[in-house]
Parts: sequence; structure tokens; C-alpha cells
Amino acid sequence: MALIEAILIYGATAGAIYALLALGFTLIYGVSGVVNLAHGAFYMLGAYAFFIFGSQGFFKFESILALIFAAIFVGIVSSIVYRLTVHPVIQDEVAVLVVTVALALIFQQIILLGFGSSLVPVPSLWEGSTVILGVTLTYSRLLAFAASLGLFASLWVLITMSKIGRAMRAISQDREAAMLMGINTERLYILTMAISAAFAALAGVFISASLTGVASPFMWLEPLAMSFAIVILGGLGSIKGTFVGGFIIGYAETTVALLLPQGGMIGLAVPFIIMVLILFLRPKGLFGKRIEMEE
Amino acid sequence: MKIQMVTTYLRRAYSSFAVHVFDVPPRLLVFLLFLLLLFLPITRVGDYTLGVLTTLNTFAIFAVSWDLLVGRSGQMSLGHALFFGVGAYSSALLYGFFPLWLRVPWLAIPLALPICFLAALVIGFPCLRVKGPYLALVTMAFPLILTSLIHYFGGITGGERGIRVPGFFPNLPINQQYLAEYYLTLLLLSASSIILYKVANSKTGIVFVSILDNELASKASGINVTKYKLLAFAISGSFAGLAGAIYAHLLLLRSAGPSETLGITVSFLPVIVTILGGIGTIYGPLIGAYIYFILDRYVLNILIYIPPELVQAKFFAFTLIVIILIIKWPRGIARFIVDKLQDLEETREIEERGKHIWKREKKKKK
Repeated sequence: MALIEAILIYGATAGAIYALLALGFTLIYGVSGVVNLAHGAFYMLGAYAFFIFGSQGFFKFESILALIFAAIFVGIVSSIVYRLTVHPVIQDEVAVLVVTVALALIFQQIILLGFGSSLVPVPSLWEGSTVILGVTLTYSRLLAFAASLGLFASLWVLITMSKIGRAMRAISQDREAAMLMGINTERLYILTMAISAAFAALAGVFISASLTGVASPFMWLEPLAMSFAIVILGGLGSIKGTFVGGFIIGYAETTVALLLPQGGMIGLAVPFIIMVLILFLRPKGLFGKRIEMEE
Repeated sequence: MKIQMVTTYLRRAYSSFAVHVFDVPPRLLVFLLFLLLLFLPITRVGDYTLGVLTTLNTFAIFAVSWDLLVGRSGQMSLGHALFFGVGAYSSALLYGFFPLWLRVPWLAIPLALPICFLAALVIGFPCLRVKGPYLALVTMAFPLILTSLIHYFGGITGGERGIRVPGFFPNLPINQQYLAEYYLTLLLLSASSIILYKVANSKTGIVFVSILDNELASKASGINVTKYKLLAFAISGSFAGLAGAIYAHLLLLRSAGPSETLGITVSFLPVIVTILGGIGTIYGPLIGAYIYFILDRYVLNILIYIPPELVQAKFFAFTLIVIILIIKWPRGIARFIVDKLQDLEETREIEERGKHIWKREKKKKK
């Protein structure tokens, strides 16, 4: 039956991109304890940066080059913004929440002032499509799927094998002890923020270029909420949990969208109902034990 | 010598007086603000300004209810718009069940309140299981769920367009409608803020603060933490619902739509207003709401030109102000000034004492 195959394939591609989206959110929380509600704003900035750098904007770069530029741009912006606004209040959890929501709103309003409230068409990553198991799949979507998995794997390698990754794990376990061991925590926080925002930007480009095809100034809230659902499902701060959570949410959403009449309209309700159910069963998520990162 | 003594006594008298006076002003200020608002329509401000002030009054109720939940009981809610939206939608949907001659807000709004109370209990229940950042994320998610459900059941809820609702005073001429609505909201604002202030300073309110300070210790002293946390949610939720229900019926709106009642800006407005005025004070958000109004209507319009189609972008300045405030003065403008003045008095006193001691030491040495 084509429906089951469609669910399998579309669910997998959506799940991988969602996992990438939530990865940055969980990474910055795991390392510095910052609940970054501006994550969705970086996602939106990524999509707009891709539009500016991409073939339809002012610069007319190749789409892959534009993708890389967008990620670097958002990474730099996020690290500056982090240093100026979030870092001074990092000790106060509530202040961090309020400041990051305020940042997200500021980015939304900057986009509104710059581009207006109408939708912006985002160019596709790669034209053309192929047929796998009787399901039509655009190259763009396939590329996004592969790139998401690749990025996920590379972050895993970075965290488990490199020196920076070891420093990140050390900070997440005990900040003071890590500082005493000579790790520059401030610089590492900024680096983590930049990586997490760049991942959000990439997810933004993938989703807007291969799934929806448009970018709007109000597109930040939905992915932010999606990353909450995934991260709470998997356990805040757990990378393994984020991967599994992303796929669960991706499959659940695709199943509902394809099986229910007008199921696409229900959108966000599905991940949240799953999230609330998980909270009842396991308040710390599937893989969440403490705020720590896996070996 | 004698003159110095006199001046010292005078200064001490002034400082003790100042401490007492500076202890009062926030409440006094609220009272003066209320008087000002009561007599404001005499100055013949335009109908539109009056309408904006009316909506502001309802938002002030909303912000005060947020302050009770977050500032007093310490349960971080970034999705307070949920209750606002539930209030607006339940009163708007209730009209469907009424016969035509009964379709007035006076009946629907009181009926919407128990619904909000129940909704707050239902929402508060899963929220009990989570704390800190998880709680903020979960509360932020609920308005989004409701928004997507409203879009899904567009046949009943009207989707993005929302539901049209009747106004409060349909029989009056239009300028008198504005005036009547203004006084109605002012009355409701003062009533509900007095109730919330009394609640916050009652035994129950003290229990809320004890939970905020140390949940484990409150549990150990025999307080039913679960009950009080749910109670905070329910009280705050019902007042937020009242604000939402009134807001939907106002002349400037007259409809319950998802973006006006459930949007993220609606959730964030009480945060801005409370941080402007001072968190955890109950009267802070009231002052903050009118600081917001003055900044919005008079200061910003002069400083920057914003084209009318981008009114949304006006929010920009406020969010920037909030960030600066949180970094520089995390306790709000009003509280910051009061604290600063008290500090000034104290340091002056200490300096004076220090001078005396220094002089005594000098004499001894001689």
C-alpha cells in the first residue's frame, strides 16, 4: 500500500529535520543551562538569510554556498546577541526566559520592518525529484534528510571525540570545576550558542526550502514549540533523546496529516498531546536523567 | 556645635520620614492614578484614545493576574494568553446557546468565568509535574495547541476570522458607548485588582510566597503544596479569563479571534508591563500598564516614525526596553527608584555616624 510507504518516507525525512531543529535547543541547554526561546528566531533568520544570499535575493550565490553563508551569518549574529543580552543574566533562569522571548520578538519585528508581513518565496535547494518505493520525493527533501543526518552525526563526533566536546561535557557536569581546570567557560558558551543557532538556521533553510517553500515573519513560534515538544519528549539536555524524539514527532505528524481528513490543519496539536502524555508518564522525558550529556 | 546637632536631628527626622513616605508611594501612586483615570474623560481626550485606554484597563487586569501567579507563587507561565483566549472564546461561543433576546455580554461573561476556572485547573494539573524551564515551555505550548484546535474546528470557531460578539451598550450613541465602556472596565479593574491584592496579602498569599521561597520547606511544615499551586493557577486563570472575556466585547474589537487573544504578543504583554512596574508587587503591573501606554502613545510616536501598516513593529521598542531593564534593573523601574532613595538615606546616615566616630577618635588622640 502506497500510504504506509508514504508515511514511512515522509515521516523519516520530517523526523530527521525536526531532530536537527531541536538539537541546537537541547545543546545550549545541556551545556549552559540556557532555555533559549529565541531558537525559533534563529531558525527564521536562517531562512531569510538563505533568501537574501540565495539565487532569488541580492547576492545570487549557488544554493549550497548560500546555505553555508546563512548558517555562518546566523551563528555570528547569535553569538553577539548572546554575549550582549543573555550572558549578563545567565544566573537567573526566569530572566533568561524573558530575555530570550524578547529577543525572538525583536527579530520578528526586524524582519517585519525589513520584508513586510507577507510571505517570501524561498528557492529550492536542488530542483527535480525522484521516485522511491512508489513515493515521489524531491531532491531538495532528500538532500535535507541526508544533510540533517550528517550534521547530527558530526555533532555527535564533535562532542564525544574532540577536545572542545570534552570541555562542553565538563561544563555541563560541573561549571566551577571546569573553570578551575582552566576551561574558558564564557568563550565556550558563546561557541555553543553559535553552533546551536547555526543548526537552527540550517533546519530553517531545510524546512522552508524543501517542505513549505516560503518564509514569513511569524514562522519562528511553531518550530520553537516543535523543539519544546521534541526536547521534552526526549529529555532536556539529552542528544540521544532528541534524535529519538525528533523521529517520533515526525512520524506522528506525518501519520496524522496523511490519515485524518484535513489532518494537516491540526498541526501542532499532535506533538503537544504526545508531549503532555509523556509528561504524565515520565516528567523528565524518555532519556532525561539529569542535566548531562552522554558519553 | 549646636547648629550641627540641629542639622543632624533634622536630617535624621527627614530620613525617618522619607523611609516612611517612600514605603507608601506605590500604593498611593496607584490611588492617584485611579483618581486621574476617573476624571480623565473630563479632559475630552478623543474617542480612540479612550478606546485604547479601555483595552489597556482589561490588559491591566490580565497583567495583575499574571503577577499573582508568577510573582507571588513562582510558577513561571509564558502562555498566560491561554486563559485570556479561553475567556474570550467561551463567552463568545456561549451566545450560540442563548435565545436571541438574551444575547447580552452581562450573562455570557459571568458564565465564562467558571469555564476559565475549570480550564485553569485542567491546565494546572499537568503543570504540577514540571518545574522551572520545563514549566515555562509547557505553559507556552498550551495557547499554541488551542490555536491549532481553533483552526481545525473552523466551522464552529470561525477559524482565523474569529466570532463576532455583541457589545456592552448597543443602545447608546457611539461616543457615550466609549465612555460607558471606559468606566465599566475601570470599575472592573479596580475591583479585581483590590481582590487580587487582598488575596496576595491574605494567609493564602503568604503560603504562595512560602512555596516560591522554598517548596520543600513549605511541604515539611504541613502545607498542601499541590492544592495551593492549583489554587494560584485557578485564581489567576479566572481573572485572566475575565479580562479576555471583556476584551472580546470591547468596541474596538467586538470579536474573539485567535491572533488577538491567543498570540505570543498577548502572552508577552503582561511580562513587559510587570517588568516595567515591578514583579511580585501586584500594584506594579498597574503602574507598568500606564507607563506602557504613555510610552506607546506619546513618547515613541514622537521619537520614531512607524508606518501604519507595520504597527506590529512598534513592539520592537518595548521588547528592547524589557531586555535593558532586566539586565540593569531586574526589580522594575518603580521599585528601583524607591530602593535607590532608601539606599541614599541609609548611606547618608552611615556616613554621618562615621564622621562622628572619626572626630571622637581624633579628640582621643589629642
